[in-house]
Amino acid sequence: MRARLHLVSLFLLALLTHLTYAQQPASSTVSAQHLTVQLVVPPAEIYPGQNFTAGLYFKLEPGWHVYWTNAGDSGEPPTMKWTLPQGISTEALQFPAPKRLPLGPLMDFGYEKEVLFPVPIHVAADFKPSADTTTFAAKVNWLVCREVCIPGKAALSIDRKALSATPDVPHQIAADAQLVARFADTLPKPLPSGNQARFAANTKGFTLAVTTGKRESGAQFFPFEQTILSNPAPQAEKPLSNGVSLDLTKDENLRTTPKELHGLLVLADGTAYEVHATPGPLPGGSSTDLGSLAKIVGLAFIGGIILNLMPCVFPVLFIKGLSLVQSSQHERSKMRAHGWVYTLGILASFWAVVALLLILRGAGHQLGWGFQFQSPTFIALMALLLFFLGLSLAGQFEIGLSLTSAGGSLASKQGYTGSFFTGVLAMVVATPCTAPFMGAAIGYALSQSAFVTFAVFTALALGLAAPYLLLAYNPAWTKLLPRPGAWMEVLKQAVSIPIFGTVIWLVWLFTQTTGPNALIGLLAAFLLLAIAGWVLGRWPGKTLAAVFAALLILPAIGISIYAVQRLATQPSSSTAAAKDWQPFTPALVEQYRAQGRPIFVDFTASWCLSCQVNERVVLNRADVQQHLKNSGVVLVRADWTRHDETIAQALANLGRSGVPTYVLYSGDANTPPQVLPEVLTPGIVIGALDGLPKPQSQSAQVNHSTPP
Amino acid sequence: MLRLQSAAIVALLATAFSAYAVRVGDPAPDFTGVDSHGQSHTLSSYHGKLVVLEWTNSNCPFTKKHYDSGNMQSLQKQWTAKGVVWFTILSSAPDHDGYKTAAEENAYIAKEHASPTAVLLDPTGKIGHAYEAKTTPHMFVIDPTGKIVYEGAIDDHPTTDTSDIKSSKNYVSDALTEALAGKQIATSYTRPYGCSVKYQNSAE
Repeated sequence: MRARLHLVSLFLLALLTHLTYAQQPASSTVSAQHLTVQLVVPPAEIYPGQNFTAGLYFKLEPGWHVYWTNAGDSGEPPTMKWTLPQGISTEALQFPAPKRLPLGPLMDFGYEKEVLFPVPIHVAADFKPSADTTTFAAKVNWLVCREVCIPGKAALSIDRKALSATPDVPHQIAADAQLVARFADTLPKPLPSGNQARFAANTKGFTLAVTTGKRESGAQFFPFEQTILSNPAPQAEKPLSNGVSLDLTKDENLRTTPKELHGLLVLADGTAYEVHATPGPLPGGSSTDLGSLAKIVGLAFIGGIILNLMPCVFPVLFIKGLSLVQSSQHERSKMRAHGWVYTLGILASFWAVVALLLILRGAGHQLGWGFQFQSPTFIALMALLLFFLGLSLAGQFEIGLSLTSAGGSLASKQGYTGSFFTGVLAMVVATPCTAPFMGAAIGYALSQSAFVTFAVFTALALGLAAPYLLLAYNPAWTKLLPRPGAWMEVLKQAVSIPIFGTVIWLVWLFTQTTGPNALIGLLAAFLLLAIAGWVLGRWPGKTLAAVFAALLILPAIGISIYAVQRLATQPSSSTAAAKDWQPFTPALVEQYRAQGRPIFVDFTASWCLSCQVNERVVLNRADVQQHLKNSGVVLVRADWTRHDETIAQALANLGRSGVPTYVLYSGDANTPPQVLPEVLTPGIVIGALDGLPKPQSQSAQVNHSTPP
Repeated sequence: MLRLQSAAIVALLATAFSAYAVRVGDPAPDFTGVDSHGQSHTLSSYHGKLVVLEWTNSNCPFTKKHYDSGNMQSLQKQWTAKGVVWFTILSSAPDHDGYKTAAEENAYIAKEHASPTAVLLDPTGKIGHAYEAKTTPHMFVIDPTGKIVYEGAIDDHPTTDTSDIKSSKNYVSDALTEALAGKQIATSYTRPYGCSVKYQNSAE
């Protein structure tokens, strides 16, 4: 009974001392300007041979931040100097995973709201307490910044009971233990074994690839070294099947390739790995899980079918329709063969594009799909080809009698060659019409392995070929087509009308990218082609006439290439009234996001017809404009008329590779951006705007995340 | 073929756009700035002389470290006496931390006994952006041929503590000494330390 009472009183005593320590914040916590700083020591007793983690805890006013060990472009990390009794030693301050803190053109790395820097502490085996308590004292220096920076310092100390031997039941100061435990997950971990980190240097910087065992779609790299990377540069990421790869931009002054990239890889879920990347072959991503691959391939197939309905494929379909009418005189098997050869033509050209894309991607170019229409030479040659084709269809001359040079004549040739090149032509003309699905499919394909890219493009090609193939296999449906007769000539001539329409569009495109002077060259080339066509029509089937026509066509091609190279003027990039729209930079978007403001980004280009339509018909509508104004959305326009690497990267980050792309960022920095459909309606835009958080919560957001 | 050609055009454009980044060893971007007495200075007109650019912000604790201790003033005195042109540049935007009108800046110079060749007022951040100046202080040394020979921190102690100055290695003094002796600059690039330059729109 006595013994039991004794035990109880001991327990009470322990509880009392416990409370006493817990109530001793006067010297362990100091309030300074814009923050409170606290020394955190979880164990209630200190004894020989003990190892534990103490910490330095900062609680910050909203908007203020302290820095990571590499502060980025400005700022400095906190420092700590301990004064400890004999036998107690500490390791260096440890730094949890930081955040990117954009600041105009600069980028800092640090912490907002609160942070705990852990410090491992070791008590020696021969530790002999000189008193009942032992004191942990530390002088702390820090720099706290918002727009202005304020240096601060404090002397912190905390007492703990000292024992000369390990107690039976060690006690913890609950509040301190909880604090250290709460931040334990924020510390970087070593990369799990079996994974690797590699980097490859290129002209702009480095490609860093890290395997983590699963597909990662959100990662940032924070370098420990301060003079290797450009801090504010966007880090374009590419998910790999078993990790992630990042494109890092090097510091302008970096002259030599470093032996390793040492830093933190912070993933979307907050996990941080400390990586030592060495130069070497990048771990590539093989094919992803089959389910999502099948879905994407399916979408690509449907996208291909829809491509048939797009206005820029229409003329080609008309040509194809014509040849189908002609084929209906042939027997069934031959028609099927023609269908397959047409399919093969489409496949071959898609595969050629895949091969080129892979080669160019390998060379480090982030190319978008509509890119070929960024080349005025390409546009000029397409215009010449279609114009010449149009002349023939209109009846100026018969094609295929003697000409062999132009693809257009190949396409309208009889027999398998004709079918093959009609397939090629269908693909070439289809590219600018980034139909819904197609953008997503290509974006997905570009960020994937060669195999997946190949599969997606093959599906697109098959989708594009499918309707015609179906017709070839179902002669019953062909019967729905009118009987051949004199109307065919009329139809052929009528087909020249959409062809000439397409020519007008191409000429408009050409003027957009090269200016009015180069246009003279292109129009002169048209005139030469018209004369060549007249010669061919006036003396049909004559070799001399064909030679003379060829002599006219060659300078026509020459003039238009010359015009592009010598007469082109820099275009004024934006067409629509641009005063409400700010030009896109990644830093601008990051800045507004950090301020908690919603942003609408319009990725556009003057050569993109659907972009122009969306802007004129939807975005510039009075009611849409009013909604945009009322919702307080920042309007940002990314103009891709001329190829721009940062825009290409921004698109790649969104999983897209072409325009139009419309992105709405809500005011909440943690919500992923919403990508709107490629074909806009006023309802879609207004609906998306109405889905934004209400302005009141936005202003609350501003208070919490105002940038430094 | 066509696609390859367009890729080449793109590559060309890309290099053209990235060509003007500031780098040690490259020609220093030319600028014309108006000083606190209303006089304008053009960098290229100081060809043949060593030029120091010093980004400043009187409210920044890192800048204060070097002015409160008299370190910056004595550097300015010492080197301008040897014919070095010293421009202190203030790129804080109006309503931003450290912004000063010409009169305020002149009062500050007088109070601090600072003696740069001139204090250039750059409230639009034009000069700051041309040099990608990041911090206060951020130092540049330009040689008589107009090349940047040093860029970075003022010294090797990135702190706000004046007592650190005595034990610091001053990179700017070293670079100027070596440049005057016609020697190669041993340390030509360091990470600048300090507060961020308070450009227009840099924060709310």
